[in-house]
Amino acid sequence: MTAIHCGYSSAREFLDTKDRHLHARRMNSLNRFADPFYCITRLIVGLMFASHGGQLVLGMFGGMPGSDNMMMQVGGWIQLVGGLLIAFGLLTRLAAFICSGEMAVAYFMIHVANAPTPMAKFFPISSAGPQVSNKGELAIFYCWFFLFVVFYGAGRWSIDAWVRKGKTAAATPRT
Amino acid sequence: MIWLNRYTDTVYCIIRVVVGLMFACHGGQKIVGFAPSERGLAINPLGLTAGWIELSCGFLVAFSLIARLAAFIASGEMAVAYFLTSFSGKTLDHPPNVLKRLLPMLNKGELPVVFCFMFFLIVFYGPGRWSIDSLLKGKLRSAATSSSS
Repeated sequence: MTAIHCGYSSAREFLDTKDRHLHARRMNSLNRFADPFYCITRLIVGLMFASHGGQLVLGMFGGMPGSDNMMMQVGGWIQLVGGLLIAFGLLTRLAAFICSGEMAVAYFMIHVANAPTPMAKFFPISSAGPQVSNKGELAIFYCWFFLFVVFYGAGRWSIDAWVRKGKTAAATPRT
Repeated sequence: MIWLNRYTDTVYCIIRVVVGLMFACHGGQKIVGFAPSERGLAINPLGLTAGWIELSCGFLVAFSLIARLAAFIASGEMAVAYFLTSFSGKTLDHPPNVLKRLLPMLNKGELPVVFCFMFFLIVFYGPGRWSIDSLLKGKLRSAATSSSS
């Protein structure tokens, strides 16, 4: 098992033991819900990301202008497949790494590149208007959140965890 | 790839700063006019309340001073924002049907949704290692041990 390298078998155990003394003492009991809620967040964000892909590639939600572009098609497939993989927690870290990279590319190649003013190149805040923002807030958010998913892993409610459980059960025969 | 989990908390702290500062920018453009916005300062009480919550809770979460409480308030405010604007169809130019109320893809309410969930994750996860909370806690603990010994 890869767990030998650092001695923790899951993200949950790692957070529960090693970092406990680093967290603020007050309200520490909330930490037990961190992993379940992380899984819910991963599901919601993954599905929203996948629906962007569906909009680009499959024409769902009324489609999107300019989606017949080659780059947009590639991006759309990454969003659709990667978003679904992240949502249900299959190959989570790998999918999240690719999606995070794709969102970084999207931010700089589309949002920053199309910004009309220097102010708009710097500020991503979506509600500010086109002259002073590049509207890339959601891309930034997806990029960072998926980077967090890369490092956190799949969490307890995921296909990855389910598969791993089956493997360890098979590897240790019952006596 | 479990070895990546060694860096989870570090990455979490960076993300908390980024998300908190973006949130504070939303408040800043309503209250102090920075980040720049074409919509001007907020004048109605609802906008002012939202702006102050976004500004203060954004900075509190970013630098993680009473992070869980601030994130809880910010998360609640984003839920209210979603239901007041996106869910009730104020971002659309026509009355929304059920699908447009429920899917953030269609009512342009994705950003409130992701902020709401991210802040609620922060409520449960806590301040992380690079935070004012953990600095204060270390100071309090050393004070307590030195006074007791």
